[in-house]
This record gives sequence, structure tokens and C-alpha cells, in this order.
Amino acid sequence: MAGRGNKKIGARIMDGKFYPVIFLAVIVFVAVILLMFVSKITEEKILEQREAKIVAQLKNIFTDMDKYELKDDIYIITKNNETIGYTFIAKGRGYGGEISTLVGLDTDLSIRQIAVISNTETPGLGTRITLTAFTDQFKGLKSADVVLSKNGGKVDAITGATISSTAVTDSVKKELEKKLEIIKKNNY
Amino acid sequence: MENLEEKLSGKKFWQELVKGILVTNPVFVLVLGLCPTLAVTTSVNNALGMGAGVIFVLLCSNAIISLIRKVTPNMVRIPVFIVVIASFVTVLSLLFEAYIPPLYESLGIYLPLIVVNCIILGRAEVFASKNSVLLSIADGIGSGIGFTLALVLISFLREVLGTGSLVIFGRQLFSIPVLSASPLSIFIMPPGAFIIIALLMAFFRLVGVLKYE
Repeated sequence: MAGRGNKKIGARIMDGKFYPVIFLAVIVFVAVILLMFVSKITEEKILEQREAKIVAQLKNIFTDMDKYELKDDIYIITKNNETIGYTFIAKGRGYGGEISTLVGLDTDLSIRQIAVISNTETPGLGTRITLTAFTDQFKGLKSADVVLSKNGGKVDAITGATISSTAVTDSVKKELEKKLEIIKKNNY
Repeated sequence: MENLEEKLSGKKFWQELVKGILVTNPVFVLVLGLCPTLAVTTSVNNALGMGAGVIFVLLCSNAIISLIRKVTPNMVRIPVFIVVIASFVTVLSLLFEAYIPPLYESLGIYLPLIVVNCIILGRAEVFASKNSVLLSIADGIGSGIGFTLALVLISFLREVLGTGSLVIFGRQLFSIPVLSASPLSIFIMPPGAFIIIALLMAFFRLVGVLKYE
């Protein structure tokens, strides 16, 4: 570093009144460029992962499906051009943020299976809503039974994760009622 | 002069590295970053993922902050540190989502929260802003490993006691017959984290493995 009295150009710049502001602006600018770059590289892969996850999840619920069609946010699952079920995403507010649940319906409009596809719940506690021990309880239920058992329904909440369990149950019920109307009205 | 020789011989590098693991272990000695420590130590899997993330961010942020330390005005140093740290955390978060989505999901909100992990800001302020790039990198790796080891140790005890088995990368390593049938679930819950951390700290004080300054 330059000593006092014999200041180099660099040191003179650093003594400037606006130097801190300019320095911070430069840092932010560099950071933005870096993030744009990384975001560009990973964007395609991230979208691919999300799409692959949806298809994989659809296959979980309908193993023998061969095609799906998206109408009014409802995935209509077909096999040999015949409708074998419906799938949609229900979103609810959990303890740590939004929880997205994929709900599969049979053609008789009862629940075939549900799968929690994204959540930001507490690891090890709220995240247990993704386990089959919880999600299998929804199998075969009609919308009237999709209520926590303490409120007279058929779904047992997870110990220590009541808010997460409630969020999944309520969002599935709400979305199910909405989608049933659409399915019936449009005769999908 | 002696200091310079040591630096050149690379001895100082290893000293700083080991120091982060033992003498200034972030969790057991400095008691920093307890929020993520309590939150992600419910499974060894999460602990490893979180540890790797923190090592990456600490390494990068320490290197950059040390590199610009002579031109960083004192007045705006904290905002500069935060911008640098937040950038690396965002990069990490994007990479995790693109290439290791299961880990990205299980870490959830605690991944972006690495930004406010006081270990990282702490190392930037205490060490990287005052030392050479090489030593800052050593300090970053050392503190990161120290943090990771602490997380793994805590989560190992919590997972084994709380679930009766150990699952890493989706593969079950072992399961204790009686314990897995009726696990001590309190250890998976938040109070269990406090109990385990307190017991470990007391143990380390007793046997003196970690040198307290």
C-alpha cells in the first residue's frame, strides 16, 4: 500500500467521497452478472427436472398410463385413447411455506392416490407428509371424507406435524371439490 | 520474519485448517450457527448435504472477501460481505436444484438460509477480511469441516436414537431391532437437538478434546 504523502493513483481513488458507494455498486453488478450466468446454465436442467418429476409422479399413480393431456390445470390420463383417470395439483400453506400435492382420481372420482411433490416443511418433522404412511390414508376417499380424523374425517394427522398435515388435507379437499365440478361440467 | 517463513512452508495453512475443526469449532466452541444445526440434524443425510453446502460457500466467500480486503471500504464492508455470501448461496441453491433435486428438497428452506448463517459472516469479519487468500481458504475449509463434523455427530445420535435406524442416500445402513419398533422420538423433535448438543458440549469439555482458548 502507498505510504502517506506519496499517494499512488489507487490510494487517491480509495480516498474519494463516493468510493464506498461505487465499490458496493461494482460488487453488486459483478454478483448480478454471475447469477445471471449460473441461472442461464441451470435453467433448462431445472425445468427438465420439474417436468420429469411430474411425469414420474403421474406414472406412480397410473403405472399403465401412456399419455396425458393438460386441460384447465387437470391432467387427463389416457391409455389406448381411453380416459383412465385424472390428476391435478393442490396447493396449501404449510408451516414453512407452500405445499404442492399431486392428487390422482379414478374414473369413479374417488382418490386413487396422492403424492406431495414439493414442500419446505421442517426436515424430519413436517416433511413426513411425503411418506406413504401418511399419503396412503387418502386412497379410495371421496371428497366428504378428506378431513382430519379429529374433525370427523378419515385422515390421521402426523404427531408433531399437525399444521403440515392440515395443510395437505385441506388443500386436497378444497381443490378436489373445485376440480370435480369442472370435470362434471365439461364431461372430461 | 518467522511468520513469513511459516507461511511459505505451508505449515500455517494446515494450522489454520485444523484450528477451524478443533480449536474454533463453530458449533461446540464458538456456538455459532445453532439455528441450522438444530434444524437439519434430524438425519445424517441432511447433515452431509448442509455441511457440503456450507463448506462450498465458506470456501468461496472467504477467498473472495480476502481477495478484495485491501480495496473494501470499511464503511460498506458488511453489505459487501452479504452480497458475496448471498451470491454464492444462490449459485449453490440453483446447482442443487438442477443436479441433486432430492437433497434440494430435503434441505428446503435451510439452503437459502445459509446466507444468514453467522458462521460464514463470522469467518468473513474475523478472519478473511484480515488475512491472505491462502490462509482464508484454509480457514474456510477448516471451519466448514468443523461444522460438518459437528452436524454429522449430532444427527447420527439423533437419527439412531429417534428412529432406531440409519439411512444414508436412500440406503438403510442398519436398524436396531428393539429401538426401531419403539424409537425415542423426542430426539428427532427440537428438544432432542438441544439435549444432544448440550450433552456433547459437556462431554467435550470433560475430556478436553477441543481446546478452549
